Amino acid sequence: MKYIRIDKQAWDSGMDRAGKSYQLFGPVKSREHHVFQRLEDGQLPDMGAINTVLSPKSVLFPQTEKILETTLDESQPDHHIMKRAGADYSPRAVIGIAPCDARAVELLNLNFDTDEYKDPYWCDAYAATTFVGLAVTVPSIYDFTVSAGSGPFAEEGLDILLADCKDSYLAKVLTDKGRAFADAAGFENEEDSKKAEDIFKTMKEEAEAGITSAIETDQLREKNLLDLHQAPFWEDIAFSCINCGTCTFVCPTCWCFDIQDETKGTNSIRIRNWDTCMSPLFTLHGSGHNPRSESTQRVRQRFMHKLKYFVDKYDQGTMCVGCGRCVEHCPVNIDIRRVCNTMNAYEPEKP
Amino acid sequence: MNKRTERIRELASNLLKEGTVEMVIGFGRGTTPMATRPDIARTPEDVEKLVWNSNCSLNLANYLTDRKGQIGIIAKGCDSRNIVNHIVENKILREQLYIIGVPCTGMVDKVRLAALCDEEILEYTEDGEGSITLKTASGKKEAAKEDYLKPNCATCMHRNPVIYDDLAADLVDEPEIEDQFADVKAIEAMAPKEKWDYFDDLVNECIRCYACRNACPLCFCPTCFVDESGPQWVGKGQSETDVKTFHFLRAYHCAGRCTDCGACVEACPMDINVRAFTRKLVKDSLEIYDWEAGLDMEKRPPLDTFNPNDPDDFIK
Amino acid sequence: MEHMGIEKERLHFSWISSAEATKFAHVAKEVTDSVRSIEPNEKLVKQLD
Repeated sequence: MKYIRIDKQAWDSGMDRAGKSYQLFGPVKSREHHVFQRLEDGQLPDMGAINTVLSPKSVLFPQTEKILETTLDESQPDHHIMKRAGADYSPRAVIGIAPCDARAVELLNLNFDTDEYKDPYWCDAYAATTFVGLAVTVPSIYDFTVSAGSGPFAEEGLDILLADCKDSYLAKVLTDKGRAFADAAGFENEEDSKKAEDIFKTMKEEAEAGITSAIETDQLREKNLLDLHQAPFWEDIAFSCINCGTCTFVCPTCWCFDIQDETKGTNSIRIRNWDTCMSPLFTLHGSGHNPRSESTQRVRQRFMHKLKYFVDKYDQGTMCVGCGRCVEHCPVNIDIRRVCNTMNAYEPEKP
Repeated sequence: MNKRTERIRELASNLLKEGTVEMVIGFGRGTTPMATRPDIARTPEDVEKLVWNSNCSLNLANYLTDRKGQIGIIAKGCDSRNIVNHIVENKILREQLYIIGVPCTGMVDKVRLAALCDEEILEYTEDGEGSITLKTASGKKEAAKEDYLKPNCATCMHRNPVIYDDLAADLVDEPEIEDQFADVKAIEAMAPKEKWDYFDDLVNECIRCYACRNACPLCFCPTCFVDESGPQWVGKGQSETDVKTFHFLRAYHCAGRCTDCGACVEACPMDINVRAFTRKLVKDSLEIYDWEAGLDMEKRPPLDTFNPNDPDDFIK
Repeated sequence: MEHMGIEKERLHFSWISSAEATKFAHVAKEVTDSVRSIEPNEKLVKQLD
């Protein structure tokens, strides 16, 4: 395993150099919060960001993405043919992605990159992206990654893991893509492996000890799905829900989308937009029937999906990675940690 | 525990014991430092869930729309005006409600409070006398509540509930507001291009989550215009035109009805000042029609009625 | 509308009965001249991505 020491003085110029061969994305301060954005020339990622409001999934899965286009203009050679929309899949690097968000990307792969079907837009974007993660040294109060299958120093899904050592970053190069990025940025001061391992180990333990939030998931797999579905606690949990899309849009693992066609003159495009299962429209059939017309049904569905259906189907733990964004941003304080623990502990009353 | 919380629990408990109502809708303790959660008490024991503090910024009238049965509801000034609005607009019957009014001393601006501290806030407490204490990993910070009021609370003209069956505290003084619409005037003074850019900038982070719309008690259309598909009026993507159309048109739908409760701003995950869209209409309502929403159960709103004296000097 | 940043030259209101043909022609010309006096506004026009 290769470890590289990056002096923070050298970081800026490294980003500059990397920017010549990669499109860079990173956390940027906006108003009083942070968002993940395409970095302009010379713009540096804010490595001190505690958490971004939206996750970096938008780098691979934008909120609105043009997928097909066509024209009726007969002067064009390919008129009347619906073709894949052009897009830029030149190499990109996501800098400062949190380990839990990188795990989330791997979970999204389970959906978009399967044996039966590969989503070309996701797969092409994923192939072009290098993930340069930043380990979390001071966990947020909303961080419950350790009990959700990830952790402040987790490596799943990352190409490089950076540890912030005050005057420098210690970089653990995990993959070939990571190696290529380090080369492009000119980061080459190798650190002794054993020494670096020890530093990582100590920092990881300290960070994990700083996590104050956790969920209990050990019983979820064993619970009977129908029992959980019919449990009486859903109505009270769902009471405050206003059915906005906040939780689904800030969530790094939510993958649902809606396809829309838009036309103007002789041109037409097909786009896909993030969709939210919280919306009453989500399950509205063409016939007018809506199996999840009630708010309680939709709220129940969301948590059952994240914490039960996914657990049963993929056997990779919960679909929640513990980033805490939904807890922080839900306008009515519906807390997935509370719901998870309630589900995990639920015993149906014996008849 | 503060006096308002105590009294709310007492009143709610009595209502449930006597069977006057089947449920009491109020605010419950949240699971994060500055949160409260709209909650429901169905038994006298449940009322222990209910709290009252300066973070009760959402509008509970939102939870009344088309609800059946006898309902107890905790209502601060703006919430009570929305209850009147709901009654006028036939979304709830007065007979269904037992309103526990709460004279309000304002809610605090979480974003500005968070910006005060370099680190995450671990704990938020208030002493009930106007002083707030924020605890972070490295220490404490004190703040005066009146310096950190939400903008709509700072210009609030109706702190006392306008309709109630019981009060959870003594009525408070309605403050003298010097220039209630200073924010609107600032925009009115801009040139057209500046105005356009101002609103452009305002919504450039909007993610169309519709938290603002869904938190708003006024937004109760069975199918919102943005969800309509036959015909489709507004695109669902992130096109600037569509995002702005949503916000402007929603504001228009609130004209003459908005009580400036700020639930829209409170709900927005991107900290957008959604009120900027409706404030102008609140000002116009007052200046042109001498109308403030939700003050009188007997009167119809100005956009609902025609009066030969309605101003029409803009029609040539 | 003005508050949004749409210039006041673009939106006009007038009561015209179908029997007031002269007034209709006059107002139509007035509005046309008014809109033409300022530069075209494409900002609210939706562009396909």
